[in-house]
Amino acid sequence: MDEEAIMYLILTFLIALIVFLVLPSFGGGIFSIIAIILTLIAIVLIVMLNWADFIIFPLVTNALGITFQPARNYKIVKSQDAIVKNVNGLYYATGYVTGNLFPYVFKLESRQEEEDRKMLAAPDIWERAIMNIGFPFKFHVLSSGLDIQNVRDELEGRRSYQEFQLSRAQQGNANEMAVTELRRKISVLQTKIDRISQGEKPIATVMYFETTAVDVSEKAAADRLNAQIKSLQVAFSGMDLQLSKVVGRELYTLFSFNFSMPTSLEELSAFFDRQS
Amino acid sequence: MQIKIFVLMAFLGMSIFFIALAAALPPGIMFDILKILLLAIGLMFDVIAFASRFYTYLLIPAVKQRSRNIVLSDEEPYNISPSADSIMHKEGSEFVATVYVAIPLYRSATEMSDEEKMDFTKQVSRLVGVSKDTVRFTSELYVMNKDAYIQTLKDTINSLENEAVELTNKKDKAKELDRTKGKLAMWHNMLDNIEKAQSLELITYAAISAKGTKEFEAVSIAQQRAREMMAGVGSVFGVTPSVVIGQELLKFIEPEYLIPFSTVSEQLSKNIQQVM
Repeated sequence: MDEEAIMYLILTFLIALIVFLVLPSFGGGIFSIIAIILTLIAIVLIVMLNWADFIIFPLVTNALGITFQPARNYKIVKSQDAIVKNVNGLYYATGYVTGNLFPYVFKLESRQEEEDRKMLAAPDIWERAIMNIGFPFKFHVLSSGLDIQNVRDELEGRRSYQEFQLSRAQQGNANEMAVTELRRKISVLQTKIDRISQGEKPIATVMYFETTAVDVSEKAAADRLNAQIKSLQVAFSGMDLQLSKVVGRELYTLFSFNFSMPTSLEELSAFFDRQS
Repeated sequence: MQIKIFVLMAFLGMSIFFIALAAALPPGIMFDILKILLLAIGLMFDVIAFASRFYTYLLIPAVKQRSRNIVLSDEEPYNISPSADSIMHKEGSEFVATVYVAIPLYRSATEMSDEEKMDFTKQVSRLVGVSKDTVRFTSELYVMNKDAYIQTLKDTINSLENEAVELTNKKDKAKELDRTKGKLAMWHNMLDNIEKAQSLELITYAAISAKGTKEFEAVSIAQQRAREMMAGVGSVFGVTPSVVIGQELLKFIEPEYLIPFSTVSEQLSKNIQQVM
């Protein structure tokens, strides 16, 4: 959780604390119980907003029938899962799906043979998926370079901590499984440090799919879009991707990336929270 | 950031006001009900204060417009720079220029050996980390606009039909007439096949943005970053990327360029025929 989130949580929880302090003024009995229930509901909502605002926000806009116009001729529908453009009576609905391809882009701690097998199969799976898709879509990989020295320092710090833990575990007769797990973590960190030493650049990435459906009404276009999103999920299921539909404010963010992208890592990370 | 803090404080202030009002009311059954109502309003403002962390951009227009269709902007989301090589977007007092770079990759997994597939996957991994700036790499599948090609075919058919009519009147040109009729049948078949199904095309491109206080400043920084990125992409894949200019840019931005109008009308008439 970042500093901003902590500040917002503290300030809004302070209000709840104030309510508990003034509870005696509600006269006790049923009214005090109602006041406590209302305060607890507010706390739960705040906590949910912090961790899963993409669930709460569409519920509110759906219930109240709220839509947004992010630019001329564009409309974000009340379910917050599509942006619709009206072009001379034809409706183009665009939706987004997160699709993190990490196992292919980055070498994880998995065994080399497993990694090679995935890397080898990737072009075939990709091509097969493309051939089976009969509608337009885009796959975006948004990458931003990290500060090499900072990443290296952080990795070395983490490795030193794990080594300290390992020496303590060995002295304290810890079980074999814990020692093996610590050794595995150290090995993963060492591999990452080695890769940076060999000249590889550390990067942060956001990956997502974008697809567009067209029809003669907003509802029909949105329905067609949902069908296309399901097809995308099926087509790329062979790649072990985490494919989930983007809803809420991140939809607006991804839409705006077509016209203006973040120019730094700080800006990029400020846009994304839980979904991506 | 300052607007966000201002909005947070405003909603927290409203929340405290209503809770203090509830606490200050004298006891009594009617006042107790009023107190609960005021408390509920106060807590609602508390939740909205937290929501402002993510939704300040929506809350201000929502409060101002008090409508179900909230207009965030009624302007075109972008314009093409005078040099026709960048997309311009205005963010407050700053300009953001986005440059699109086409990456000509025409390799297919079906014609690659296992070693080449592995190399290709590694090249894609390297491509993602090619720039320290924030770059978006995209693979886009879109419906080809066959209008121009179909028109060429129709023109050819018309001229061949004229030729056939002229040849019919000449007795000594029987062989030429047969050849012309053969050509005519071939072009008719071609036209029928082309109109039968939509053709999809896959393109790969990258986009990079830069900010500036003046339009030309943003464009020149973005172009500079694009040139650096193009050099990296060129060295990874051994291809020559090029900056996309003019109307071609719209293919990457506007949904209607993903699915051309002629294809949509074809698709819709097909749907109507299926229903009938």
